[in-house]
Amino acid sequence: MSADREYVQRESGQQSQDADEIPSLDKWLVVAASVKGTSHEEQDQPCQDAHYWRILPNGALIAAVADGAGSAPLGEVGAGLAVSTAVNCLAESVSGLKIVVGPEDDAIGQLLLAPMETAREALSTEAEKREVEPRDLATTLILLVATGEGIAVAQVGDGAAVAGEDQGNVVGVTVPQSGEYINETTFLTSTEALHAVQIGVWRGSAARGAIFSDGIQMLCLKMPEQVPHAPFFNPLFSFVSEIASDLHDETVALDPPNNPGPNDLVLKQAQEQLQTFLRSPSVIKNTTDDLTLLLFSLISPEKAAISPEKAAISPEKAAMSPEKAALHPDGRDFAELG
Amino acid sequence: MLRDDKDLPWDNIQKAVAQGFDAETKTENQPARPSLEERVEFVENPEPRCPCVLLLDTSASMQGEPIAALNEGLRTFQQDLMKDPVAPKRVEIAVVSFNSEVTVVQDFVTADRFEPPTLAAQGLTHMGAAIHTALDMVQQRKVKYNESGVSYYRPWVFMITDGRPQGEMFDFVTSASLRIREEETNRRVAFFVVGVEGADIPYLREMVVRVPLRLKGLSFNELFVWLSRSMHAVAQSKEGDEVPLGPPGWAVIE
Repeated sequence: MSADREYVQRESGQQSQDADEIPSLDKWLVVAASVKGTSHEEQDQPCQDAHYWRILPNGALIAAVADGAGSAPLGEVGAGLAVSTAVNCLAESVSGLKIVVGPEDDAIGQLLLAPMETAREALSTEAEKREVEPRDLATTLILLVATGEGIAVAQVGDGAAVAGEDQGNVVGVTVPQSGEYINETTFLTSTEALHAVQIGVWRGSAARGAIFSDGIQMLCLKMPEQVPHAPFFNPLFSFVSEIASDLHDETVALDPPNNPGPNDLVLKQAQEQLQTFLRSPSVIKNTTDDLTLLLFSLISPEKAAISPEKAAISPEKAAMSPEKAALHPDGRDFAELG
Repeated sequence: MLRDDKDLPWDNIQKAVAQGFDAETKTENQPARPSLEERVEFVENPEPRCPCVLLLDTSASMQGEPIAALNEGLRTFQQDLMKDPVAPKRVEIAVVSFNSEVTVVQDFVTADRFEPPTLAAQGLTHMGAAIHTALDMVQQRKVKYNESGVSYYRPWVFMITDGRPQGEMFDFVTSASLRIREEETNRRVAFFVVGVEGADIPYLREMVVRVPLRLKGLSFNELFVWLSRSMHAVAQSKEGDEVPLGPPGWAVIE
């Protein structure tokens, strides 16, 4: 399951800042793929991983990855519902606000907890509608928000999110949560899920990173310390940078769906390269599980600056909607007005 | 390799290109970049382990055909494990036999290095002591895994008997039974029992948590193929899997 036109780079907006600061143009490039594991192919099961992402007019990237439980008959439904609900809920609650990955971890944690809870409720509602138990839709969920200032992640279950730093260091923003046994983890549908939410925050300007499901974690994290393996991630980050440089400046904005443009082609090819990688012998000899890898990078300001008119967004989009702010009073504690 | 979205939007894009769309991309003007598979370096983590203790009754009553069938079954077990892509490196087998003595015939070894032993039958049935030995081994193995940073699956103890505890102190049997219950409750181990012809199933049922199964005749081969396939499933399982094992054709539930 994948997001609609997930390979398309979304237009992002201009972030209003103090008048004496240069407005930053946060533009994100996301390349993501979920592929079916070989064991699921053999047994003719669906891919139970899902991912979804959006770029908000305020320049924030919101992305989610979920891994439906193999034991859950509707794991893929749960995963798909969890990523879309969480991303959309978070997008709505911060729309028009400037997200600050600030010094208060608690605040950003609170910001991320609400969509996790909403996603959990959505699973319950869906289970009720289908007359099944919520655990039949069991899934993990990793929800990420990234701005030019940093990355914050909420996570239930395994998989992880990492951030790439300037000097080629790759640091874990979250770590896989598993029990004593490798085939045990917490799910969003578990009773204790909301108490088990892991919050990770990374601050820094070179925003690039990755979210991945557990299928790939044994290939990219050094165990048992769960430290990201830089030689795994850095070539992938370079790959995203190369894709960014391949983009046609004049059409950096979203190409219309019915009229695929050259950037669609570049992005589609990028996604296919990622899929090919996830299905390559080096990967599948080590894992038979479904695999999701979502790579994101802030496109260099120089690149974005080439076509400022494209980066600028309509004033009504940029303007914060007062109704929304009023609907989410909690948001004001941790989000500044845009 | 399955490419599920091969002929959907991609084709449309190509058609658009064919219809005069300016498709010249920068990538075409550049030398081909190496594939991601060539560029990315993978971590070599130790394989996760899936430990399984075979706890085998080799008391006198197993003499003759039963022990021969059991030995044959062990060879089948090893051969079948080798058929799986991941089981040979992940499944760890230990063999403990019990009669008037408890013998660790084989300490934990990965399936690809497992050499099936040929067991002989004699003596009484020191089942209580054997259970303690098996559970001790599981516990020590976990310590070893943790020390070396190896992740693991829930260990299995698979006991096969044609009788009931015999020739040892009753307290020892009781404490073994209590320990099984406690460790099952705390999810430290999964303890399975298979009764061969002559096994006191009602007695065994009182000793363990999971319902003992009775082997049909001497169908050890079928039993071990099933056990091997179950291990394949466990060794490939991901989080949350209960690893449903198909209904065993070799067993009768009493």
